[in-house]
Amino acid sequence: MLEVNALAVAYGDVQVLWDVSLRVEQGEIVTLLGANGAGKTTLLCAISRTVPVRGGTIVLSGERIDRAPSARVVELGIAHVPEGRRLWPDMSVEDNLLLGSYPRRARADVRGSLEYVFGLFPRVAERRAQIAGTLSGGEQQMVAIARGLMSKPSLLMLDEPSLGLAPIIVTELFETIRRINAAGTTVLLVEQNVLQALEIATRGYVVETGRVVSSGTRAELLASDEIKKAYLGL
Amino acid sequence: MSYGLALIYGVLKIINLANAGFLMLGAYVTWWLFTAYHVDPLLAPLVIIPVFFLIGVGLERTLVRRVLGSEPIISLLLLFGVWLVLQNLAYVIWTGDTRSIENSFIESTVKLGGLQLSIPRLYVFAMGVLSLIALQLFLTRTYLGRAIRATAQDRDAARLVGVDVDRVMGIAFGIGIALAGFGGSLLSLLFSFTPDFGRVLSLKSFCIVVLGGLDSIVGVAFGSVALAIAEAFGVRYMPASMQDLISFVVLVVVLVALPKGIVGTLRSLRRG
Ligand SMILES: Nc1ncnc2c1ncn2[C@@H]1O[C@H](COP(=O)(O)OP(=O)(O)OP(=O)(O)O)[C@@H](O)[C@H]1O
Ligand SMILES: [Mg+2]
Repeated sequence: MLEVNALAVAYGDVQVLWDVSLRVEQGEIVTLLGANGAGKTTLLCAISRTVPVRGGTIVLSGERIDRAPSARVVELGIAHVPEGRRLWPDMSVEDNLLLGSYPRRARADVRGSLEYVFGLFPRVAERRAQIAGTLSGGEQQMVAIARGLMSKPSLLMLDEPSLGLAPIIVTELFETIRRINAAGTTVLLVEQNVLQALEIATRGYVVETGRVVSSGTRAELLASDEIKKAYLGL
Repeated sequence: MSYGLALIYGVLKIINLANAGFLMLGAYVTWWLFTAYHVDPLLAPLVIIPVFFLIGVGLERTLVRRVLGSEPIISLLLLFGVWLVLQNLAYVIWTGDTRSIENSFIESTVKLGGLQLSIPRLYVFAMGVLSLIALQLFLTRTYLGRAIRATAQDRDAARLVGVDVDRVMGIAFGIGIALAGFGGSLLSLLFSFTPDFGRVLSLKSFCIVVLGGLDSIVGVAFGSVALAIAEAFGVRYMPASMQDLISFVVLVVVLVALPKGIVGTLRSLRRG
């Protein structure tokens, strides 16, 4: 459904991604692994069209999106849940969620979407009237994912959703991502929690200093010596 | 009116120095429609609001957008320039003579339990409250309104949910200019004016907006009340001509003591 081909991205004169290619098929959970500063966030931002693309192509279900405005990408069914959550801290949880269904396509069924995300995250339902900035980190992450789902995406991109959360919450979170995927949403997941990410993933890519250095199915990656050494500490 | 200033600052993070110019223009257009075409001054906003909105959107698209990313001083200078242009345009078209609107409505009063109240004053006050309510409803209950607030709080996050941030900024600027024009139209019912109209009022608007917190509409309403009270007390102890000085003093005190404004300070207190 998503195909990235020979993507190049630069911030001003500083090139951050070189010749990055990857593919995500309908129904998969694909994980992007890589050290700090490797360019994972930049890659997601390029796909959601919030950073400019220098070269290469991005194709979503047959449509080129590498020059499209970000609003178009959301309309086509990609939701990007950014690193650091980026809620609107002074707005209520409910307003944050309602803004998630800003694209026209999603507005028709706001009630259904709310029901769905409240079912996934009962805690978010309890907190719906609260100001988002007053929630705990774990709750904010739930709201951020719920906001992403409110646009009824076919592809959900999550950027380090487990960052800064307590281990028990992280386990819960990965379980929820699995459920979201089981309900029919394709997932592209950036994670530092390599082992847990690989547990739920179908396939993965390893990014190092702006290039894809290896890729494979979960089993292949788990068996790879490089991954074991670099990320699993084995 | 101050709301427009707050809205534009909140969303675009620029201070609209041209606010005074559009306020003045709103007053002149009301006067001109009245004297030249006998349009009831109370109906003038029906023309002013949509036309000023479009002018605002156009101004944002052609000029303001170019300076959004740059140093604050650049947008200040640009909008100061727009103000000067508007002022001089008014001198050319309507000369520097003092103008005022005179009809039976302006003179009318009601007796309320022994108090003689001026109807236009009550009317302007009611319109101020009404536009506050309307703006608040728009910002909290509609998708576009929520998108405006989202853009004000975190532009990138707004982009991520599919908000066309450029369009939203244009609309916010348009609404700000429309509110300034509407405010000017209302004030023309109370005061006589020259092309310099709005200078002091703009200063007061600044004061109100800073007092309320630079990006909060409810805060602006608080700010207006607080300034009115400060002025009312002030006049008892100093000559009326010094009244405008109070705005300056309040402005400075607030900027030093509560840089986030009343609402912002409450918010941080609540969040702990
Ligand atoms: N806005 C920006 N301007 C300039 N350089 C940037 C910008 N954002 C990121 N970079 C640089 O691009 C490179 C890749 O950053 P990116 O955030 O994509 O990495 P990441 O893999 O997401 O890292 P992390 O694991 O820390 O989130 C880094 O060297 C970073 O310093
Ligand atoms: Mg990152």
